[in-house]
Amino acid sequence: MNALTLFRAAVGLGLAALLLGSTAASAKTLVYCSEGSPENFTPAINTTGTSLDAARPVFDQLVEFERGSTNLKPGLAESWTIGPDGKTITFKLRQGVKFGATKEFKPTRDFNADDVLFSFQRQFDEKNPYFKVSGGKYDYYNDMDMPTILKDIKKTDDHTIVMTLSQPNVAILANLAMDFATIQSAEYADYLMKKGKPEQFDQVPVGTGPFVFSAYQKDAVIRFKANPDYWGGKPAIDDLVYAITPDPTARISKLKTGECQVSPLPRPADIPELQKDANINVLTQPGLNIGYLAFNATKPPFDKKEVRQALSMAIDRKAILTQVYGQAGQMAKNLIPPTMWAYDDSVVDYTFDPEKAKAMLKSAGVSGSIDIDLWYMPVQRPYNPDAKRMAEMMQSDLAKVGVNAKLVTYEWGEYRKRIQNGEATTALFGWTGDNGDPDNFFFFLGCDGTKPAASNIAKWCDKDFNDKLAQARQVTELDQRKKLYSDMQVIQHDQEPVLNIAHSLQYEPVRKEVIDFKMSPLGRNQFDGVSLK
Amino acid sequence: MIGFFLRRIVLTIPTFIALTFLTFVAIRLVPGDPVEARVGEHGITPERLALLRHQLGLDQPVWKQFLDYGWGLLHGNFGTSLSTSGSVLTEFMTLFPATVELSLVAMALAILIGIPTGVIAAVKRGSWTDQILMSLSVTGYSMPIFWWGLLLVMLFAERLGWAPVGGRIDLIRFDYDTPTGFMLIDSLLSDEPGAFLDAVRHLVLPAIVLGTIPLAVVARMTRSSMLEVLNEDYVRTARAKGLSPFRVIGIHALRNALIPVTTVIGLMTGSLLAGAVLTETIFSWPGVGHYLIDGISRRDYPALQGGIMLISVVVIFVNLLVDVTYGAINPRIRHGG
Repeated sequence: MNALTLFRAAVGLGLAALLLGSTAASAKTLVYCSEGSPENFTPAINTTGTSLDAARPVFDQLVEFERGSTNLKPGLAESWTIGPDGKTITFKLRQGVKFGATKEFKPTRDFNADDVLFSFQRQFDEKNPYFKVSGGKYDYYNDMDMPTILKDIKKTDDHTIVMTLSQPNVAILANLAMDFATIQSAEYADYLMKKGKPEQFDQVPVGTGPFVFSAYQKDAVIRFKANPDYWGGKPAIDDLVYAITPDPTARISKLKTGECQVSPLPRPADIPELQKDANINVLTQPGLNIGYLAFNATKPPFDKKEVRQALSMAIDRKAILTQVYGQAGQMAKNLIPPTMWAYDDSVVDYTFDPEKAKAMLKSAGVSGSIDIDLWYMPVQRPYNPDAKRMAEMMQSDLAKVGVNAKLVTYEWGEYRKRIQNGEATTALFGWTGDNGDPDNFFFFLGCDGTKPAASNIAKWCDKDFNDKLAQARQVTELDQRKKLYSDMQVIQHDQEPVLNIAHSLQYEPVRKEVIDFKMSPLGRNQFDGVSLK
Repeated sequence: MIGFFLRRIVLTIPTFIALTFLTFVAIRLVPGDPVEARVGEHGITPERLALLRHQLGLDQPVWKQFLDYGWGLLHGNFGTSLSTSGSVLTEFMTLFPATVELSLVAMALAILIGIPTGVIAAVKRGSWTDQILMSLSVTGYSMPIFWWGLLLVMLFAERLGWAPVGGRIDLIRFDYDTPTGFMLIDSLLSDEPGAFLDAVRHLVLPAIVLGTIPLAVVARMTRSSMLEVLNEDYVRTARAKGLSPFRVIGIHALRNALIPVTTVIGLMTGSLLAGAVLTETIFSWPGVGHYLIDGISRRDYPALQGGIMLISVVVIFVNLLVDVTYGAINPRIRHGG
């Protein structure tokens, strides 16, 4: 008997009394180690992925993303037709769809057009009694430019909704699949308003989704039960438990010990060890994001495209990929990741060539050394794990071609505000896609984005690019849209307002007893269709 | 006694006012504001920024915001969380029992092990036992909580499987209401077989981690205090009178030696709550620690202000209690002597 055995035996005896309860898992309960508490359970007023994940089991949208992809499929709308002028969309609603119940509220009717009207009107109509409830901030609705896009919404009968747009915009369908466009129960809203407890509407959710909300303890647990009446069929798991575990190390430990079966957002440093674990599958896929370096086209010498191209060739992105992203990055040559249908693989990437960069700078009239500022984010973002390190590497590369880059940063909110106001000469930034539509990426280089406080931090406005951006919103034929986006990728590459650096990879460790969990390119976690061995 | 108590209470009023002011100002000195913290890469139009700031009252002069906040406090209103729109007081009170439960058990552990350890070390002053115990207490005191916690999790949860990694109860096996928020009590009330033991299993590692530093402090404090007392004339007299060593040490000496230890225990409430923030993070313990950290990252002014204020109330109250206890033990203090 060696010392370790003795030690185990001794401590084992001491703790024996505490071991009576073993962690025998019910075969039908799936535990997901979520990374935080939700702000509340109404997606329209939430801003974080954590909150949206927490509400998703309970709700549906008119249009939905196929699980594990950004392809659209019918949700609470069985079908839709776009009018000949492209400005009206008519949705035929699914019939016989039941809302879940709570301890005190039992729905008396099925889902209908009133629920759709209520869910949208709450977000823009100040007369809606719920407009100001729970703070009344509808960030996503505003961020996705819905107040401009959506001119009117009305019902023509209980199962038909007509949306009128201010101008043709096919990308709105992808918007409608987003969580902010979740459909909630108007009857439940009325019930709570009459009871004088409207804020409960956002805390105890009632929806038509695959699961029914059961309980929530802040920072501890969210419980859901399978919805036996779900229009898409009862989920394969009976109970879904979100064990709230903010610390990434604790999440991994819990996954290893089987205290949870799915654990999001692992730290890159933990990936190799998890990949060796016989009980865990580490799923991976390219994220729907882009990390880039923007050149401010309104500030000399970056008003010349040759200078922007030269600097793009002076930066060793392969070294950045290795040292900043490790295993978790994929070199980017286009603004959109290769998993998107509009990706143009024929674009030839810039190569790392400092000598050519020097020559190009000289021919562009930039002789001798120049001083620029290079801004970097003070925080980790999904598309850039270490902006400071990246900026330092760029600074070193640029010095070799005679460009002295002064590194600048601010507190994150301040940083974002200043670069969006055009203060930086060059700045690291990025984007994470909301809905998988290419428009949701290309829009941020549009001319509208050059206004102060808007998303185009290169402040680059190209008429050709902008016209094609507008056109791509109006055509419904996929091939035509693809051609337009392809042209835009060529223009962007030639004009180089931003140097595309990388698309980060996403990882999701899942225990092997979990069947058919699909990673979402949008970073969603959803559990309908998932089962357990 | 009542006069002493009232005097102490009156003295806490300026402390509260200063605390309210400091918390209010300090949070606003941190760069960034709640609206900016909500905005991501999408950006925000100046009009919408102004609208949201107006909705949250952030467009008011700071002195007016402070007066409004103070007025609310006087009416028991700690404000509304900017991120959840829930009442700060309600949210805090939901989470606070978990922190209290963990802290009480950790402190009980520190006292029950720390005091006997200190007494043994003092009685056996200079011996190997003394040196080993005091070395252990220095080690315990110097150990970073985060490192210590992770070490225990890796050994007892991951490697040996004797304890759970985190949380307060096995979420798969048990699903019951928690009316008091104290899991040990709620598990007993639930009538679910095995729930209480499971709650204890979940409490063991976090309590050890949180209790380690107080344990070391209590042990060292008890030892030095005991050494002082053991040299006093009355102890020598008691020994000379032939009293048993147990009576001399356990009753005559220890009672007086405990006076400074009691004070230290009161003062440690603050550091215990600070330690709870880290311990709660390591063990996914749903207490107020994470609430405050989340408040900082989201620039949730009301949540942060309210949370800090309420914790301060507890710390001040505990110290008040200690002062009263101290006064009860030592009448000279009670009379201002």
